[in-house]
Amino acid sequence: MPFDKMVPLMIGGVRDTLYMTLVSTLFAYLLGFPLAILLVLTSPKGLKPIPVLYRIMDAIVNIFRSIPFLILLIMVIPLTRFIAGKAYGSTATIVPLVIAAAPYVARMIESSLLEVDPGVIEMAQSAGASIPTIVFKVLIPEAKTSLIVGATISTGTILGYSAMSGAVGGGGLGQIAISYGYNRYQTSVMLVTVVLLVILMQIFQITGMTISRKTDKRTRE
Amino acid sequence: MALIELKNLTKTFVTKTQSVNALKDINLSIEKGDIYGIIGMSGAGKSTLVRCINYLERPTSGSVIIDGRDLSTMSQKDLRQLRQQVSMIFQHFNLLQQRDVRGNIAFAMEIACMKKADIDRRIDELLDIVSLTERQHNYPSQLSGGQQQRVAIARALSTNPKIILCDEATSALDPQTTQQILSLLKDINQRMGITIVIITHEMSVVESICSHVAIIDEGHLAESGPVEAIFSQPKTDAAKRLIFRNVQKTDKLIGDRMVRIVFDGQQADEPVIAELISQCHIMVNIQFADTRNVGGKAFGQMILQLPEDHLQQDKAIYFLKEMGLKVEEVSGHAL
Repeated sequence: MPFDKMVPLMIGGVRDTLYMTLVSTLFAYLLGFPLAILLVLTSPKGLKPIPVLYRIMDAIVNIFRSIPFLILLIMVIPLTRFIAGKAYGSTATIVPLVIAAAPYVARMIESSLLEVDPGVIEMAQSAGASIPTIVFKVLIPEAKTSLIVGATISTGTILGYSAMSGAVGGGGLGQIAISYGYNRYQTSVMLVTVVLLVILMQIFQITGMTISRKTDKRTRE
Repeated sequence: MALIELKNLTKTFVTKTQSVNALKDINLSIEKGDIYGIIGMSGAGKSTLVRCINYLERPTSGSVIIDGRDLSTMSQKDLRQLRQQVSMIFQHFNLLQQRDVRGNIAFAMEIACMKKADIDRRIDELLDIVSLTERQHNYPSQLSGGQQQRVAIARALSTNPKIILCDEATSALDPQTTQQILSLLKDINQRMGITIVIITHEMSVVESICSHVAIIDEGHLAESGPVEAIFSQPKTDAAKRLIFRNVQKTDKLIGDRMVRIVFDGQQADEPVIAELISQCHIMVNIQFADTRNVGGKAFGQMILQLPEDHLQQDKAIYFLKEMGLKVEEVSGHAL
């Protein structure tokens, strides 16, 4: 492929990939964050144990985490059509991406919140803090560093998923890699998309880790 | 009316395989202004007991009455309000790692919904009380253990509580820092009239600041009362184990006639043994001594081996009794 055609193609690919990844991550967090907080609070050792609710949510998260993403993509096509109006393209791909990522994100957040020192939670209770206060003034701020690391890892995973969706008509770099590199034997195009995906992943990783390190107050200076 | 009253307090933890009686029928009255030590071996149930006082643990039966209010009848909301009046400090300080000193002190006041300007003013006062003004913008990871506990004390004081509960508050600190923290607590008790309940396994903590002590043994309240009374004449085995805990070390002790003399705070600066020797010309052998200074008074015990002569023995016992000491005869094996 000539260079002057490659450049706009790749710019479009990067744009679509970023769009899918970032919007999906946002929605995955909107669903996953409340789910994670409920998991932490209602667990048998949580602040408000509700074993039945906990077990149901725990099972749902596990079920969705067990379905391979490529199969989930196909399974949810009717839902994707219903929500997005069509089953292909970048916007449509956001639906399966969110469904796959939300339980993953919920587990990430849950494990970050569980890392918070139980002693600090007890301190808050002894000072008369209510459960919402403990969540917003203790759990989330104290888990901040770990939450940012988790978000970095989650965004990377969703970036990978978005590329995979190219196989079944999703947009972005993944689709370019498959339709040019695989279907039309243009290996050079595929290699360029791979390089661009690696660069994107590096940018996410470095940005996330830098933010988490800069905002962590636990390290001695 | 006592400030804190525990009546028939019982706490049983039920697990799938067994039930554990952490506390059994505890009755205790803590008056306003007391520094009340609750001491026991680890696993005796002291931590559970202190968590029952602010209802972080709900007792299985019995009642906790603070300032005339029975906690079992209070709603969750009222309990949270009450906890602003009953502060707590911990063995591992439990500070928010992502907040600086000021932020940590502000925490309890934010929960109490105080105004930002009032919080800031109060923080300045508290920093002065705990001498941490220079450290106000540091984070907990930059502070020593003693400094962290002082932040915790400032936080505990911030809402003007009636009671401060200390759960092994000095157990993670070295002896010198422990003394600093204890004198700070004593100062707070005297200046502000705040009642302090101290959970500890260290006898020295009770000796240095407590006015009263309760001894907890395997979930039971073995003994309670003023420190002087309990330390001079422990009645129960549990209390004796704690107070005379070093006695077992003298199991090689063999001799003819021996007496245990008990110091109960009266003879603080009288050189009793020296006078026995110089006035009565009786030689005694000190087999064991464990005495301590509690608020300027001597407490403890000494075991003396008396001379062979019976007359001299009786004379020595008479002299010691005349000095106001409690004297009881012991045999080497009975120790």
